[in-house]
Amino acid sequence: MSDNNPKIILEKYENKFSYRKSKTNLNIQFNRIAFIFFIFLMISIIFSIQLLHLGASKKTANNKNSDIINKNYRADIIDRNGNYLAKTVSSIDIGINPIEVIDKKKLLINLQLIFPNKNFTKIKKRLNNRKFFYLEKKISSENYEKIMLLGDKSIKSEEKLTRIYPQKNLFSHIIGQIDDDNQGISGIEKFFDKELKLITKPLSLTVDVDIQFLIREELVKFQSIFRSKGSTAILMNVNNGEIISMVSFPDFDLNKRETMNDLNFINRATKGLYELGSVFKTFTIAAGLEEGLIETDTEFLNLEKKLKCGKSTIAEYDDKISSNLTVEQILIRSSNIGSVRIAQRLEIEKLKSFLDKIGVLKKIVFDIEEVGEPISFQWGKCKLATVSFGHGITTTPLQLAKGYAIVTNGGFDIKPSLIKRNYDSGSNKKRIIKEGISKKINPILRKIVTTKEGTAGLANIKGYEVGGKTGTAQKTTIGGYSRAKVNTFAAIFPTSKPKYVMIVLLDEPKTSTDYIYEYKNKKGSYKGTPFNTAGWTSVEVAGKIIEKIGPILATKYIEN
Amino acid sequence: MKKIALLIIFLLILATSLVKNSTKEIEDKIFVLNESIRSLKIELGNITLEYNYLSSPDKLIQYQSQYFENELIKIDIMKIKEISEKNNIIVLSDFVKKANDE
Repeated sequence: MSDNNPKIILEKYENKFSYRKSKTNLNIQFNRIAFIFFIFLMISIIFSIQLLHLGASKKTANNKNSDIINKNYRADIIDRNGNYLAKTVSSIDIGINPIEVIDKKKLLINLQLIFPNKNFTKIKKRLNNRKFFYLEKKISSENYEKIMLLGDKSIKSEEKLTRIYPQKNLFSHIIGQIDDDNQGISGIEKFFDKELKLITKPLSLTVDVDIQFLIREELVKFQSIFRSKGSTAILMNVNNGEIISMVSFPDFDLNKRETMNDLNFINRATKGLYELGSVFKTFTIAAGLEEGLIETDTEFLNLEKKLKCGKSTIAEYDDKISSNLTVEQILIRSSNIGSVRIAQRLEIEKLKSFLDKIGVLKKIVFDIEEVGEPISFQWGKCKLATVSFGHGITTTPLQLAKGYAIVTNGGFDIKPSLIKRNYDSGSNKKRIIKEGISKKINPILRKIVTTKEGTAGLANIKGYEVGGKTGTAQKTTIGGYSRAKVNTFAAIFPTSKPKYVMIVLLDEPKTSTDYIYEYKNKKGSYKGTPFNTAGWTSVEVAGKIIEKIGPILATKYIEN
Repeated sequence: MKKIALLIIFLLILATSLVKNSTKEIEDKIFVLNESIRSLKIELGNITLEYNYLSSPDKLIQYQSQYFENELIKIDIMKIKEISEKNNIIVLSDFVKKANDE
């Protein structure tokens, strides 16, 4: 009877079990129910210490980040001293849904008490249209309280994020604007659209509100004196390319949303393409010095008064200019023929390569999208001649500032910038033209301001060692030149160790009969503008600007 | 051995729960502080904006013409002096050195 065997096994099992129990000395008997209870206990402890909550809190942290990227966030923009240039604030728009209005007359009377200046015949018409409309956008907190106290169901409030520009017109071309969907549509707002939605700290610019204001004030003042079509001024640090001020006039209030089709409102500093005239002579001479083909005392003898090139004639602007000039005198007296002779020594490739190196030939990479692209052209013998004195070649005032910065800062390449970056002091600087060029050019630029023969005496403001070159160019029309002019002054100061480059450009200025000029290099004054040249217009503006901003630059920026 | 392992696990869970509880309290405090900082930051932003507006060059010029027309004068850079100390003696020197050609 093999069926009896299991009984024996059961006895053996019991023995084994008791043996184990005695060996481990465990008082708690682990059976399945106890184990399940233990698991439940563990789970409840895990919940009590909120280990799961940790995961949940991580999720909320992620949600916070995604909120930052959401379409309603936009970082503020500040100037180099922390002043707000653009700020995001929440505002409330009040709308009315006419369908929900119970008593129209009563509502209109109440609204009239709150908004006495509104046109209520229009509002009455809108109420009858039975379509939702906005009664007041960006309502003041005082009026908001009053209107909500009316307790009318038809009054709807909507919270919106608004971008405000406390400096109004001051930075209109730099900052730009955003649309209703928080998308940048121009200027910094467009170029740094993505960054502004991501960064938590304000975007810091290189510009200075006080200096920008003072420069704009002068441009506005001289706009009425010289009745120009527009004007622009750029102030840039020659050593790191930081733009301290960039004004283009006419400008507009960024807080007002208007459609502008008038091309006169373009950013002349970066988008305006001009033939800038004699300011290019500095580059021609710098190129000659760079190539070792000339020295500042190299003499050019028997210079003609007129040159024929193809159909056009190149002439000196002043017949009194001597026929024998040194390189220094060519720049001081602004001799066109002298510049042509230097360019002819250089030949096309060398002049072209120099202009390309200092960044005036191609489109500049900048911190806003509104940048003009210099018009390309075919180089030839006549082109070489005209380019040497800044005709037949277009560029933007910003690129002119860059070129002057490189030529005067010791030959180091710089990148004009509107964004404050931490610059490595000197180690990353790349020299692109010979060191000695600035040492030769800067004293000549100074002489243009200090000597009787120079064309920029009105900018000789004491204490700032101003140097610079003037440029008077006729504006191009289809197939030729018009009588309208572009008067430019490219200034650097102090010339012994340049820190700033300033470009002042007046677009189509006219002479003034009443303006009184105070001479700087001699005593006395002069009433009325004798010639519509840069020396009598943009130089005067630049001088007045330097007089105003000089004390701030000399004291506030002493460490920079 | 098993008893010790269980005891250690239990103690670890207990310690973790205690640590977590105290961490939670700190987290709550941090949250409250962060929220207060956030509201203070908003307030600071608004006050700075107001300050920027009131001290803007536009407003300052307006105040000057309104209240200080004759009191505020333009600085002549040539008149600014620099104070320095040499051997316990205070020396006044010109802030801008005259250039040779001036």
